[in-house]
Amino acid sequence: MKPAPFAYHVPSALTEALAVLDELGEEGRVLAGGQSLVPLMNFRLAQPTHLVDINRLDELDYIRRDDGVLAIGARARQSALERSQEARGAAPLLVEAVAQVAHPPVRHRGTVCGSVAHADPAAELPAALLALDAEVVASSRQGERRIPIHEFISGPFTTTLAPGELVREVRVPVSGAGSGYAFAEFSPRHGDFAVSGAAVLLQLEAGRVERASVALCGVAGMPVRAAGAEQSLRGARGSEEELEAAAAAAVEGLTPSADLHGGSAYRRRIARVCVRRAINLAFSRARGGA
Amino acid sequence: MAVTQQPKVERKWIGKSIRRVEDPRFLLGRGAYVDDITLPGMLHAAILRSPYPHATIKSIDVEAARSLPGVVAVVTGAEAAELCAPMPDFGPAPDKHVWRCLAVDKVRYVGEGVAAVVAKSRYLAEDARDLIQVDYDPLPPIVDPEQALEAGAPLVHDALGSNVAYERTFTFGDVDKDFAEAEVVVSDRLRWNRSGGQPLETVGAVAHYDLGTGMMTIHCNSLTFSHFLFMMANTLKVPSNKLDVKPVNAGGSFGSKFWAVKVAVLSGMLSKRVGRPVKLVEDRIDNISNCDHHGSDRVYYVEMAAMKDGTLRSLRLRTIDDYGAYIQFGTGTHGNSLAQLVGPYRIKTAQYQVQAVLTNKCQQGAYRGFGSEVTNWMVERMVDLVAQEIGMDAVDIRRRNFIQPDQFPYFIPTGNMYDSGNYEAVLDKALSMIDLEHWRAEQKRLREEGRYIGIGVISAQERSVFSATEFWFWFDEPAAKVTSSPESVTLTVDGAGNITATLYSCAFWGNSAETMVAQLVAEEFDVEPQNVNIVYSGSNRSLPATGPGGSRFTVMVAGAVQGASTRIKEKMFKVAGHLLEADVGDLEWTDGAVRVKGVPERSKPMAEIAAWLHLFKHSLPDDIESGLEASKVYDHPYTTMPSDDRTNLGVFYPFMGNACHIPVIEVDITTGHVTFLQYVAVHDAGTLVNPRSLGGQIIGGTAQGIGTALYERYVYDKDGQLLTSSYMDYLIPSAMEVPDLEIGHEETPSPFTVHGIKGGGEGGRMMTPAALSAAIDDALAPFGVRCNELPATPERIVNWIEEGRSRQPELTE
Repeated sequence: MKPAPFAYHVPSALTEALAVLDELGEEGRVLAGGQSLVPLMNFRLAQPTHLVDINRLDELDYIRRDDGVLAIGARARQSALERSQEARGAAPLLVEAVAQVAHPPVRHRGTVCGSVAHADPAAELPAALLALDAEVVASSRQGERRIPIHEFISGPFTTTLAPGELVREVRVPVSGAGSGYAFAEFSPRHGDFAVSGAAVLLQLEAGRVERASVALCGVAGMPVRAAGAEQSLRGARGSEEELEAAAAAAVEGLTPSADLHGGSAYRRRIARVCVRRAINLAFSRARGGA
Repeated sequence: MAVTQQPKVERKWIGKSIRRVEDPRFLLGRGAYVDDITLPGMLHAAILRSPYPHATIKSIDVEAARSLPGVVAVVTGAEAAELCAPMPDFGPAPDKHVWRCLAVDKVRYVGEGVAAVVAKSRYLAEDARDLIQVDYDPLPPIVDPEQALEAGAPLVHDALGSNVAYERTFTFGDVDKDFAEAEVVVSDRLRWNRSGGQPLETVGAVAHYDLGTGMMTIHCNSLTFSHFLFMMANTLKVPSNKLDVKPVNAGGSFGSKFWAVKVAVLSGMLSKRVGRPVKLVEDRIDNISNCDHHGSDRVYYVEMAAMKDGTLRSLRLRTIDDYGAYIQFGTGTHGNSLAQLVGPYRIKTAQYQVQAVLTNKCQQGAYRGFGSEVTNWMVERMVDLVAQEIGMDAVDIRRRNFIQPDQFPYFIPTGNMYDSGNYEAVLDKALSMIDLEHWRAEQKRLREEGRYIGIGVISAQERSVFSATEFWFWFDEPAAKVTSSPESVTLTVDGAGNITATLYSCAFWGNSAETMVAQLVAEEFDVEPQNVNIVYSGSNRSLPATGPGGSRFTVMVAGAVQGASTRIKEKMFKVAGHLLEADVGDLEWTDGAVRVKGVPERSKPMAEIAAWLHLFKHSLPDDIESGLEASKVYDHPYTTMPSDDRTNLGVFYPFMGNACHIPVIEVDITTGHVTFLQYVAVHDAGTLVNPRSLGGQIIGGTAQGIGTALYERYVYDKDGQLLTSSYMDYLIPSAMEVPDLEIGHEETPSPFTVHGIKGGGEGGRMMTPAALSAAIDDALAPFGVRCNELPATPERIVNWIEEGRSRQPELTE
């Protein structure tokens, strides 16, 4: 279980990294935390010929809030997000999601931007970011573009990142006061990829849902927004019937692909359970509970 | 068979929870494993594995691999077959299901080795491996064990003529009569899927073939059955006295390194081929797909006969066991079943039909329990079914049928003997550790809230110390009626009176062999256990040793230590008698010295006697040689031969432990997730040598039992592809999934072993699946759930609940 041969580049500044990536084009692959890429390379499922290690780019190690946006740099570890007071205030949903990513050793190394770039359909962070309407900042030698996350992730392990580009930053709109949030997932064991999971953000006005955002992981080739559930929640006060209806609407039409840990029907069932639990918790938080 | 056990004796070291003597070196990172070994000029090997479950190998093109810089050799299966004889195989017909270190002509499972690369580094070896082109002609695979029995099924081995490697029905007593007279007969189909031991460290070997001397030295993390290693020499085509397998610390085995000789053979073959040392260490995919040690994989069709008052009468079953593509130990795992077929109960008759089938999967080997854990599960599942049928409580039906303390030694229908036991005491202790009434009240209360908790109570056996007859009583005309599985020790006392114990089977395996030996030696000589030096001999110049397996090591090595100690003491008494001018008959051993009975001031400490023996020979009587060393080869202490017609298999697994496990769980009916609320485990493994290390065995075994019951399974899909080739998909319970255990011990000494010790290394895993199955049934009783297949994964549990609901429409929400 050894990787195939590859060339290794260790730039010490962003400009240098972008220059190397530009030169390498299709050949270049960014190494951040390596928690997914390195195992894939050891299995030889990924055989990049050039690795560009961004771990020395201290300038990208930040999580900061400005102008109603939480900005997370490419070198920021998942554990930093988990512990960031700023993030807890600005995007508690994201913090709750990151705490459910694998185990502490993985989060100490893994990065937020890396998880987004990897685009695992079962991963927590892309789903949470989708619920939060986050943006991805892709940098290259030619400049920078901001891509809404629903356009950035285009399929299983597939993104619209162009050759030569680096996911430099993820930008998350700050969740408004009076909003309720929750990330609920189910996995057979603690720390596994979820069978499925749900990210929910509710904005309440006078006890009724004004705006709901519901995203799911593990039920399709990429994280999906549950438009039906969002619509169904509008105006809801959080009754049992409303929760049930929203959970049912969330999985309407979904046909998750089966794997070892769950057939399609089971995954749908779990998604429904997770949505219900997340909405329930989000309501209670919006009302000033837990 | 002499009864050696005396009434309760005071012991100095046996029974104390001393810290393990193995721990300092491992905790300091100084233990060193096989991958830490580097020899001058050493090369590295990698194995090309088959991607097909069943295919003919049309051709192999190794040119590109061979010409990669840094590659020293590429050996295909066909070349390996010239360098090596087939693997040592204890199966029913080794010439008809030929097992080789690399496949020749045909591959029989995904992961089977096809070619080996030797290169300057493992990286290069794997690069070259990717350049090997194999032209396969895929054949239809046979995956399902019951389909493997059908006429026209694809054949795993053409020479065998079918996929049935072994089939026989054993009848013990008048089963038909018991069934005819029974008031209640319950039947079920039970399915136990395959899992396996998951050592942190995979199997590895570093081989060095010395072209000058013809000596083959293999450092290896598996060394068992040293008296059978001449067979491995035969495979490697070296004289048996030119093979030296040197034991290396292993990072766990759990049975999975029991006879893990293929990696050693491959490294040896490659070293001989290239004339340099070769290291081969399995990676995780190698280990999961090609370790030769997957666990039992059984289907049962079973009936139990009983009376309405709960008296159990008879057991009749057919079991189909999926052995995979080869069958290296034959049906030894069913010997384990027959050793304790009736559990702790007075069931008088039994019929056992076993069909060992071959399929396109990795072959079975050993895994903690060696098949007896499956039997425990089956028996307990059926006892629970009888209880349910007649409306009897799980505890009551067990009490009604227990073999009673005054009935030992007790011979079960198969012929095996249970040496001793007190099953009610074990059950009572477990019940005393749990507040059953509280949990029953909680169960009632929580059900009102739509929450489901369940309590499982089981009582089952832990056989220990197999005898060799288990390997051959299957056949009317066995190839070799082997009669013992010995274990040996050499004790050497140096001129300063310090003791070294030499062991002859595998080094540290995750069990506590050295701690056991240190405590046993300390008990004999009144020394501190940590002052006993423990070393390992290679297989060359080895005394016969079988190693850990079947929970035999502590019992057997205790016999060897006692035997060698007696010899050492005899010599010391002779010297002391001379020095003290006393008759040997007037001497006694007390507090590390030989003294005249009752006269403390007339004594000679061991160190002084040792000094005399090493340095002052000519001051001693002529018939005393210099030095102080003795060995003991300890043979199985209680074996009897099977009857010719095999209606009685003799005594072959007599030292019978027992345990009671009581888990309390909650099942989330929306997800099928199981969580633990409490877990009590009481074990009786005879005299305790070290309660804490036995506790560790119970915890580890229970964790693995939880894995088998809820999480772990090697999954082959219908096309024969292995879907669980890494730990992303093969789920081992972690510390987050395993509860804190509350452990209790009972001590019913064996009358037939030294100190009354019984084996206790496997008990956890032998109990937990049955206990958890019962707890799941209990939790989900309102849905009529019957846990008849493991692992009970969340999805399976949800399906059971849904099936229950569809049977009882009033339950639908």
